[in-house]
Amino acid sequence: MTNARHSLVLAFDYRVPDAVRMWSLLQRRAGALAEIGAHHVVVYRAMRDARRVLVTIGIRNREPIIDLLKSPVMFQWFDVAGVEDIPAVFAGEVVEKIDLHDRSAVDVPPRVVIAAMASVDDPTALVAQVHAGLERFKQAQVRKIWIYRAFDDDHEVMILQEVSNVDTALRWIDHPDAAAEWIARTGIGAYPAVFVGSLMNIMKIDARC
Amino acid sequence: MYVCLCVGVTSQAVTEAVAGGALTSKEIAKVCGAGSVCGRCWRTVRAIIAATAPPE
Repeated sequence: MTNARHSLVLAFDYRVPDAVRMWSLLQRRAGALAEIGAHHVVVYRAMRDARRVLVTIGIRNREPIIDLLKSPVMFQWFDVAGVEDIPAVFAGEVVEKIDLHDRSAVDVPPRVVIAAMASVDDPTALVAQVHAGLERFKQAQVRKIWIYRAFDDDHEVMILQEVSNVDTALRWIDHPDAAAEWIARTGIGAYPAVFVGSLMNIMKIDARC
Repeated sequence: MYVCLCVGVTSQAVTEAVAGGALTSKEIAKVCGAGSVCGRCWRTVRAIIAATAPPE
């Protein structure tokens, strides 16, 4: 179990007119992102939909979240990318980082990722369930599992799994392990469908930007 | 999940509004404020209504 105090993480899954152009434009906004305390931005692109992206933003300033979300920086993020419909935003912190292959790489963002945001009955039990099923995850070529808990909802989690390659990711979606009960809880209401994609870009933001 | 960034409304609040009888974007905006400013969260609000509202 990870006990260290972590950054606030915002995550959102949405479609953009042009993901490559979006990244190009966002790089020019590093200064604005630094103003809200962002230290990393990671963008994943969906395998089967080149316009669908998953973004995670690590932020040093944890409170108050509402003020952060209302910031013009957040709206400009979507405006710059030409996105009209603003997606639901996950806001939470990582509570578990498991590396099944290389412990030294535990803090390196996943490359081929299966991401799920969902409401589960008992997040604490879910973490225990994941630990109990680690060998099965490993056999299914899952390399990393990162579990996040939301600040605004005790039942809400985001789970990022890194798998060895795209084929493995797609197979996992078609036949998820029983230990991954959260997969069935996605795509309902505010929660997006399971995201399967690959790392597109990482931006490290200097606090002095 | 934060649904409405303008007002800071969560999906829980929208779900509770639907459970309380709000079944349109306008009714949701009136009850909890989601979508009452710029309206760019209406797509998510409608998805929550569809997932929560009882079948007709």
